[in-house]
Amino acid sequence: MTDVDLSEAEKTFILHSMQDNFREDGRGCEDFRHMEVETGLISNTNGSARVRLASTDILVGVKVQLVPVDPNKPNVGRIEFFLDCSANATPAFEGRGGEGLASEITAMLTRAYSCPSAIDYPSLCVLPGQQCWLLYIDVLLLECGGNLFDAVSIAVKSALFNLRIPNVTMTKDEGGIELDVSDDPFDFKRLDVAGAPIIVTVNKIGHFHVVDASEKEEVCSLARLMLGITEKGTVTAMKKEGSGSLDTDSISEMIESAKKVGVELNKCLLNILMTEEGQEVKPVGFLR
Amino acid sequence: MAGMELLSDQGFRTDGRKPNELRRIRFKKGVFKQADGSAYLEQGNTKVLAAVYGPHEIRGGKGKALHDQLLINCQYSMATFSTQDRKRRPRGDRKSLEMTAHLKQTFNAVILTELYPKVQLDIYVEVLQSDGGNYCASVNAATLALIDAGIPMKDYVIACSGSYIRDTPVVDINNLEESSAGAEIIMAILPRCEQIVFIEMNSRLHEDHLSPVMDQVMTGCKDIFNILNQQVRDELCKKSAQDRIVDSG
Amino acid sequence: MPTDTRRISGPEISHSPYDYCLTPPIDLIGADKKRLDGRLPAQLRPLFLRAGVISQARGSGYIEVDQTKVICAVYGPREVLRREDFSLKGQLTCDFKFTTFSCRLRRQHQQDNQEKDLSVQLLEALEPAVCLQKYPKSQINIYVTVLQNDGSALSAAIICASLALASAGIEMYDLVLASSVAMRDALTIVDPTEREEEAVLNKTHKAELNAGSMTVAFLPSINQVSAISSDGEILCETLTKSMRLCVENCLKLYPVLQQALVKHRLDKQADTS
Repeated sequence: MTDVDLSEAEKTFILHSMQDNFREDGRGCEDFRHMEVETGLISNTNGSARVRLASTDILVGVKVQLVPVDPNKPNVGRIEFFLDCSANATPAFEGRGGEGLASEITAMLTRAYSCPSAIDYPSLCVLPGQQCWLLYIDVLLLECGGNLFDAVSIAVKSALFNLRIPNVTMTKDEGGIELDVSDDPFDFKRLDVAGAPIIVTVNKIGHFHVVDASEKEEVCSLARLMLGITEKGTVTAMKKEGSGSLDTDSISEMIESAKKVGVELNKCLLNILMTEEGQEVKPVGFLR
Repeated sequence: MAGMELLSDQGFRTDGRKPNELRRIRFKKGVFKQADGSAYLEQGNTKVLAAVYGPHEIRGGKGKALHDQLLINCQYSMATFSTQDRKRRPRGDRKSLEMTAHLKQTFNAVILTELYPKVQLDIYVEVLQSDGGNYCASVNAATLALIDAGIPMKDYVIACSGSYIRDTPVVDINNLEESSAGAEIIMAILPRCEQIVFIEMNSRLHEDHLSPVMDQVMTGCKDIFNILNQQVRDELCKKSAQDRIVDSG
Repeated sequence: MPTDTRRISGPEISHSPYDYCLTPPIDLIGADKKRLDGRLPAQLRPLFLRAGVISQARGSGYIEVDQTKVICAVYGPREVLRREDFSLKGQLTCDFKFTTFSCRLRRQHQQDNQEKDLSVQLLEALEPAVCLQKYPKSQINIYVTVLQNDGSALSAAIICASLALASAGIEMYDLVLASSVAMRDALTIVDPTEREEEAVLNKTHKAELNAGSMTVAFLPSINQVSAISSDGEILCETLTKSMRLCVENCLKLYPVLQQALVKHRLDKQADTS
């Protein structure tokens, strides 16, 4: 996944500086790097967002489509994640090279969003038992600079916040109920994303754990814990990644610190999205 | 085409442009840090990202290497959300494979390939939003990315499309015109020596109309060239002025 | 999802009959404080373990946790097929598959997304236990097949795979044990069955904060957790508490695994002599 190749000396440098609570870029253990969030850049979509976290660059587009409901769950809408690792990020992703990573990230997102309170699934149902909205959440990975899972989940939440679902009018005629999707761009409803989780990855480096690891730090870390954290501080999905193992005490500490960071992050993101919308600035996208 | 006039009686197109008018072009070089060269380009509502990696050692089998020139490797992909209806796959379909081949052919003609024997250059193009003229925007963006990467080229390579609507040649057509008008001509040229490196025409066009459309597209290409060249030069001048200040302390 | 074009597929749109008989929400625990299958909340299911069940494989294992039945084969260490993948450390690959008939709903022959995800989780549970530095330039392949799924399939698969690895004579730091729990509100039940897992994840009312399941893989002698995963919405405190419960349950299973391994060894000795 990464091209970063560190020597033993560089690894030792990162490990030792961690002991003095210093990271290679001067951050503390629970600090995030500079992040930019922008919504509504792609006019072909119903909702879109771009997140740039240091050099990690994620673009998300959400498209909605009317589909028959899942007979197992007749009163709720559905979502589907798709992630494409663009070769722009690294030549290793060319062709089908990025599929392994893509399926890992989509699996984690699907799990994190599978709990009923993540988003307002019943509001996505148009006609109970018959038609509902299917949200295609398409993620495009444009550049990798570490901490992909977190950045992707932030971008997904922002795109869902930006989502405008066209209103549907139902008319009853002899053949049944006819659905008419409004094509007026101002006739839409929004989705409540307050409960949507953000993935927080806590990396174990030496005896310490840090959030938002850079690519170099990710190489030094043997084990990491990924948690989908909601605004309320609940965990919607958890998974350990990496070839190392962890002891129980450090896991509980990592969960605690992920919870702290996650709750704060959710709050900040929602605030920023609200203010961005209030200002009604035109998206500048990649031209900045 | 009933109900909709692609060219009104007053001589305006559906998006308000005149027949010989281009869409707004905006671009930025060096959007990514990791790539050796990258560029983002907007032509109206068509938005494209291009990245260049290399020249570097041949990846995969060494057998692919060309002993006397550079191997150019392209990949064209479209974001699944880029089109009006969602695409199922970002690449691998017939159309993107064809586009990849076209891009490769175009850039083989313009890059000084003999300077880099036995190595490889990757050009990756990602369409973020598509509104007609995907090939043209991809070529223009990739040119800028190559300039950003500092790859020696004979000239800029600039692409533009054109069509023939109501006895008038039109330039830089959008998605609506592409899908409903008759013929579409796509050309990639070297603007300074006026050489054509790629030309494609879809559908039927009367022989007599071909050369006016080609002339119009050629003018369009040169206009695009002027816009790109101007900004590239300005940026370069600004950069070198900055460097001079840094050098002099 | 990719489909296999060589197989005859059914009609394009079809629904399982189960979709139309909505199961009423079940109570995890009855009035007599007992679960649906008569167990207490903290009671594990009976376990059957046997090593060396597949003669062609280098090592193999079979596990039955009541109705959950998993078989696993280990091949290798063998040469890495693709030359570019040479490395000083050995490679471990895991392939997790539900047989088509193992679940309530029929599974496809090809790996679906859930199975891919479980393969990765299985790999991550086992990787910390295997001394991969002892196997340079080689790979070890683990194939896990779930014959019948009645809940806690992942933890059964982890135990089974670690038994198969050990019986194959692969050098390991420790045996890997695994255990799962399901929780709803203040109630925590260990080793959930499929019905219980589903009941927890398909909660009907939104008000419940705590509803989910969790699987932990544990290496007892070095006291390390090698994998941990959870689904559903759970409070952080419950998560920590459940993790410790899982670890305790893993320790209970340790002698069973050791015993199965010793029995396998003795059987083999008897065969050769």
